[in-house]
Amino acid sequence: MSRYHSCFITSITLLTIFLTGCSSSQPQPTKGSAYPQMYQEKPRSILILPPINESTDTEAKDYYMTTTEVPFALMGYYVFPTEMVADILNQEGIYDASILQNMPATKFYEYFGADAVLFTTIHKWDVSYTVVASTLHVAISAKLVSTKTNKVLWEHSKSVTVDLGSANTNSLEGLLISVVLTAINTASADYVEYAKVVNDKLIYTLPAGPYSPMYLKDEDMPLRQY
Amino acid sequence: MKFFLHFVLFGIILLSFTNCSTHKPLYYYGDYSEEYYTAKRELTPEAKLQLQHSIEEAINNPNNSISQRVAPGMYANLGYIYLKNANNAKAIEYFEKEKQLYPESAYFMQRMINKVKALEEKENE
Repeated sequence: MSRYHSCFITSITLLTIFLTGCSSSQPQPTKGSAYPQMYQEKPRSILILPPINESTDTEAKDYYMTTTEVPFALMGYYVFPTEMVADILNQEGIYDASILQNMPATKFYEYFGADAVLFTTIHKWDVSYTVVASTLHVAISAKLVSTKTNKVLWEHSKSVTVDLGSANTNSLEGLLISVVLTAINTASADYVEYAKVVNDKLIYTLPAGPYSPMYLKDEDMPLRQY
Repeated sequence: MKFFLHFVLFGIILLSFTNCSTHKPLYYYGDYSEEYYTAKRELTPEAKLQLQHSIEEAINNPNNSISQRVAPGMYANLGYIYLKNANNAKAIEYFEKEKQLYPESAYFMQRMINKVKALEEKENE
């Protein structure tokens, strides 16, 4: 029996070596080393503030707002209902990005009882056209701030650039049709789809929250860049 | 016998890899995200009603998730829609549900409930 036992141990050891063998000897940043404050404060709830819009598209704010509630909740945090929060802040006269940014985070604990507030900034939300091609950009940065200490607990920024294809340049007519088609194809729905891709990239680096099975178990998880 | 044990061991290792890939999400949201976006874009009563239906559908199907719980904020979202439609009793009912399911929301939800009740008392005077 002990022979099978040792066989099992050997297999597990080999498996462990196989799994860990991929990482280089150089110490990689982990969630724990990059965001130690998250593991000290252990915030349970996140108040997502209306986005700060620095892009050229005025509609980006309202549209991006619909994409953040779900992914942060899926990471295991209690996320306050974003629509309700945005309306209340509006009624309280806090709708301007500059007012939001200059408010001490502790104020949000007093009003909502939130452990942390999430600031999101839309840096890019546009399509750039050249004669033969068009490219869509969405760039977002996110910052989680403690409402107890005003300290930054986590921050990250990500972007996507999508080549929407080059035009058919065989004739001038073809070129025009192609430009029109691209404009139609890049209706705002596409921005939201790509904003969700950016969110997924951002959130990958966020330590898991209390409702996640990974809560306080991901400290050693490497921060892979992709 | 030895072959059999190896076979079992291989099976266990294989299972430990595959069970990770067939996971359900932590919460079930249905079409909530898409309908929320549509409601923001179109601002029509129809789009708002569709959003309400998607929230109700998500609330009614928590079993499609690993947590088996209604997602954070969903009861509050529904309560807020009732509040905007001047159905204060239903609004309070859903704010209470949010508060009970997620203690993190208790402070905020109680604040909202008190506000709605204070408004009602004013109207009854």
